[in-house]
Amino acid sequence: MDDVIVRIGGAAGDGVQSAGLILTKTFSRNGLYVSTYNYYQSLIRGGQGWYQIRTSEEVVKNQGSGLDVLIALNEDALNRHTDENINEGGASPLSGIAIFDGVMITNYNKNSNVKYCPVPLRDIALKYDKNPLLKNTVALGATIASLGVGFNAFANVIREVFGKKGKIAELNVNAAKEGYDYFMDNYSVYKKVKTIKRKMYASTGGDAVGFGGINAGMQMYFAYPMTPASSVMQFFSTHAKKYNIFVKVTEDEISAINAAIGANYAGVRTMTGSSGGGFALMTEGVGLSAMTEVPLVVYEAQRPGPSTGLPTKTEQGDLNQVIGAGQGDFPRIVLAPGNITDAFNLTKEAFNLAYKYQLPVFIMSDLYLAEHVETLLNIDLDYIMDNGLMAKDNEENYKRYEFTDSGISKRAVPGQKGLMHNEDSDEHDEYGNVVSDQVTDPKIRMLSVEKRMRKIEDYIKNMPPTRTYKIEEADYLVVQWGSTRGAVEEVIDKLRGEDIKIGAVEIDHIFPLNPDIKNYLKNKKRIIVVENNYSGQLNKLLKSEFLINTDFIGKYDGEAFYPDELKNSIEGKINEKYEKIKIRGE
Amino acid sequence: MESYKGKVAPDWCPGCGNFAQLRAISAALAELNIEPENAVITSGIGCSSNMPEFINAYGYHGLHGRLVPVAAGIKWANPDLTVIGYGGDGDGYFEGTQHLYHFAKRNVDITYMVSDNQVFGLTTGQASPTTPIGRKTKNTPDGNIEPPFNPLQYVLTAGASFVARGFSGDIKTLTEITKEAIKHKGFSFIDVLSPCPTYNKFNGYDFYRKTFYRLENNNKEDFYEAYKHASEWGDQPHSIPTGIFYEVNKTRYEDADEVLSKGSLKKTAPYKLTEDDLTEFY
Repeated sequence: MDDVIVRIGGAAGDGVQSAGLILTKTFSRNGLYVSTYNYYQSLIRGGQGWYQIRTSEEVVKNQGSGLDVLIALNEDALNRHTDENINEGGASPLSGIAIFDGVMITNYNKNSNVKYCPVPLRDIALKYDKNPLLKNTVALGATIASLGVGFNAFANVIREVFGKKGKIAELNVNAAKEGYDYFMDNYSVYKKVKTIKRKMYASTGGDAVGFGGINAGMQMYFAYPMTPASSVMQFFSTHAKKYNIFVKVTEDEISAINAAIGANYAGVRTMTGSSGGGFALMTEGVGLSAMTEVPLVVYEAQRPGPSTGLPTKTEQGDLNQVIGAGQGDFPRIVLAPGNITDAFNLTKEAFNLAYKYQLPVFIMSDLYLAEHVETLLNIDLDYIMDNGLMAKDNEENYKRYEFTDSGISKRAVPGQKGLMHNEDSDEHDEYGNVVSDQVTDPKIRMLSVEKRMRKIEDYIKNMPPTRTYKIEEADYLVVQWGSTRGAVEEVIDKLRGEDIKIGAVEIDHIFPLNPDIKNYLKNKKRIIVVENNYSGQLNKLLKSEFLINTDFIGKYDGEAFYPDELKNSIEGKINEKYEKIKIRGE
Repeated sequence: MESYKGKVAPDWCPGCGNFAQLRAISAALAELNIEPENAVITSGIGCSSNMPEFINAYGYHGLHGRLVPVAAGIKWANPDLTVIGYGGDGDGYFEGTQHLYHFAKRNVDITYMVSDNQVFGLTTGQASPTTPIGRKTKNTPDGNIEPPFNPLQYVLTAGASFVARGFSGDIKTLTEITKEAIKHKGFSFIDVLSPCPTYNKFNGYDFYRKTFYRLENNNKEDFYEAYKHASEWGDQPHSIPTGIFYEVNKTRYEDADEVLSKGSLKKTAPYKLTEDDLTEFY
């Protein structure tokens, strides 16, 4: 079976997202892979937004190009998504069927690529209830019919979603059934979706980070609300009781990071998080964690900036901020999950890294990764909490910041007997005592800097090998980081299908960069760096680290890459005249 | 009290009011039989904030203005610890004001002592939030024109459940206040009149010895009485009150929160995720 792409368009407050999530769940619960896309604005009512679901028997890695079924909840949505010159950040116009309320929407632009399937959504809904959102359920019923899915598969999901309200659930089931029957009576199945009996889990990136945190033994989360980081805070708030997580919205992000440092210092795994603007306020705390060597995990979900930017859109514009946050010269680790499964796994890894190396570790996400739903590819719940080196009670001559070969020294937490010591934001000696108050000791300062920096050398030696995709005999190489992975892989699949030898390096451990990347950069006709930003922040990092020439493809309209547009851009680069690529050491 | 003596000797100027506060905190901890390993001192940045080094306990010398959230994070992680925040007026009443207000309001069970010397000492003598009008300082050569911050009224308004003022020249009372503050279940706040012999030649020991008095028989549960006392200030005898202005029983954040009230997270094993939990997913 090919994939199927369904899009629901309407105004904010129309229930676009809720309808999308019900449909997503229907596919997922019936053994299909899903990947969704949420296009919305920063408003509560009005405007125009939409939710897209791509589903298939095979793994789907992104929202996809093309559009098979449109549910238009108003006239504007119908006209927008059937327009050949659609201006929705790379999303394709409809080439398939449109389901809409034919009684309410009568005057619309006709397009020959579209089969119009009006359904009296409102009239059917009113038979059951006055709630205006019920018409969405009717539309979903019709959609399920158009995909040839049995009604029961859908009814079960409705009952699951509305489960706690038995009467409302049945009302929705009945309304959906009438939408389903109406479609079957008047139109024919447009594209058959075959359901499969197998267990699938899909999740948003935000929830995956939340589950990852819980799996990693996290017990507290401190934050201040900011889209798109808030979904993680919301996840923990919703599940606080069940998972025994203490969640606190503090008065600002400065407080959040400092409280998180206090809690980690006291020996309880704690995370803080924000979007770029809120993270900017946390900057000083990043250095505090590094200087006092208190483990810290920071979740940073990017949205387009600068300043308030586009609150409900996506971008990868904060890499420079995250790798540069904090005055001074100190080690940090930055992870950038490439999909939702990775968001779960890297959150777990982030905690052990933070505790092993006693430094700030970042999980970089973005709005697209945080808010879209995607099938988890494999989930391993096994986890060994490694809190790193700890001193034993009453250890003699305990040195909190002992100068060791690895740079890692034993931690001690308050409550441990005989290990009282000072942790200081001032430069300090092995005991934690300040070196600058009375007589500054330049030698100790140097040794302390080197000690902290040795930790990152140890990390580099032990980091997992860089991920690659279809790298064999590749003439062309794409380098990507974070959430662009799914689109890049699909383009590589397609180009390989056209006998173009192309592969990808997928960077999810983005700072410091793994030196092994160098091995993949040799003898390439072109190295094309793909990023969801304007200036190519990873591109510049790669150039400075490996002294290579690259081509750059950036997208900065607030939307994620769509495979077809990215394929066009990459083909464009491949077909351009090229200069010889130089690599350091050649 | 000896057991609280740190390995590093204080580097404050001779005659600094901070010495008295170091003694009061050490004595209070000792008299309350709190073991050094169960006490944590968090501080900000400034002369006073160097204290954690000078005391034999767990010390965390953090950022300017941010000692309160660090202290709260520690207390929320491990409620068995006695957590004392200690910093200066520049630290707490400029950059730290929003934390002071909100953690006082939350009534988190920590003690916060401010060494209030009305001046920035470590940056060599600029006007601070509590510098009086007219005072000439390094950055106010023609005299300060900004009205001073009233810490006691601010913290009372925020909803702190224990509000006090001490004086470095009255160590006995300061120690008693500190003991009561540590014992108090909730956010305890102590502003300390602290002479700075180097940068504040005006409000030194002589000035406060002349003007301070000890509150006696005040109704500590009367918010308005406390608020009225907090407005008292002057250069005449018996014009600056010290002592406990306000002390009430109030629900602590930790008691109201469903997770924290179940017990110490430090002592609780984290939740073990199972396959069943994944049904939360789509």
